[in-house]
Amino acid sequence: MNEFVMALGWLGLYAPVALGAIGSCMGCGIGGSAAIGAMLDTESGHGRFIGVSLMPSSQVIYGIVIMFSLQRDPMTAEAAGAIFGIGLLAGFAMLYAGIRQGEAIASAINASKAKPEIFGISLAPAAVLEGFAVFALVFALVLSGSIPA
Amino acid sequence: MNSRLQYITLITSLPHIGRIFTEHGTGISRYRLEERLKMLEPEHSRLLERIVSVTAWSSVSKIETDAEIIGLASAVIQELTCYPDLQELVLLRMETRTLIAALRRRREGANDAGDVTSWGFGRWCRTIRENWNDPAFGLSHIVPWASEADRLMKGGDHVSFERLVLTEVFRQIGRHSASHEFDFTAVVAYVLRWIIVERWSIYSTVKASERLRGLLAEALKSAPSPFSAVPETEIAV
Repeated sequence: MNEFVMALGWLGLYAPVALGAIGSCMGCGIGGSAAIGAMLDTESGHGRFIGVSLMPSSQVIYGIVIMFSLQRDPMTAEAAGAIFGIGLLAGFAMLYAGIRQGEAIASAINASKAKPEIFGISLAPAAVLEGFAVFALVFALVLSGSIPA
Repeated sequence: MNSRLQYITLITSLPHIGRIFTEHGTGISRYRLEERLKMLEPEHSRLLERIVSVTAWSSVSKIETDAEIIGLASAVIQELTCYPDLQELVLLRMETRTLIAALRRRREGANDAGDVTSWGFGRWCRTIRENWNDPAFGLSHIVPWASEADRLMKGGDHVSFERLVLTEVFRQIGRHSASHEFDFTAVVAYVLRWIIVERWSIYSTVKASERLRGLLAEALKSAPSPFSAVPETEIAV
């Protein structure tokens, strides 16, 4: 039983990084595909399309920060349950935010191609999603402080 | 490439069509559009071709009988089982065409609808038959522009009539593709809109008169000669 709880602890510890990386991959893939398509149709502004398509890469960085804040040396059965819960749920939040951010960026690129002046404001939904991912990060850090060493 | 990502690239590579009846034009030539559409999966390319064959006027005008068009529409709708929004779009397009055909028949003096199912398609056939004398064929609650179309057709204002119909078809496409941004339905909606804008943008009085002259020449070529019935001896005299 103790070993199983410890295994869950390790799973929860690495989950934010793994799920965050998957979210970033998918989000950047979606945004990048939109940027590539937009480059076929436009003569300029390619740099900014590629630039915004990389926005979802922040999810994996947040995941790494969460992992370090959850890390306990050595891992104990008392801490493992909390690490599992916080890590896994934070990881899912990063995964979902990354995918949805990619979609929001793809829409923004598509819309701003037709109307370049809305480029900035069209990124607002993607920025809000970034904000939600930051909430997940911050509160994971806050809760990690109350996990027994 | 992942199919979803492929469609994201395809859609974002197509220029914004914008509003109909503006100077903006299609934004992309037929050749370049066909080049971009090569990104479609083979099955989707085939389906798109089938949808265009039943919705675009340039394709339908090559079909000789109403029965063939009705058969083709039924087959295409059947093939689109996995795409309910496209099914509805094709059905609505055929129903709109039925309504226009009914307006034309009534203007030409038809006293009743006759067997609507032999020249029409869709859910409105019975309503049209039962409300033949109503300006909107009893469809004003579903098709609010039908009365206006009737007025324009009776008044002989064909340009305004065409404009009204194309605007409504443009809107129908927008409504049925509103929830699709980066998928096959979105690509089909784009192509159908592009066809409408292209059709309107190539309209011109010069081309129309050229076409009329061509049709007249063709009709005169196949018409019997007024001298064919006269014996050669009489002509010689």
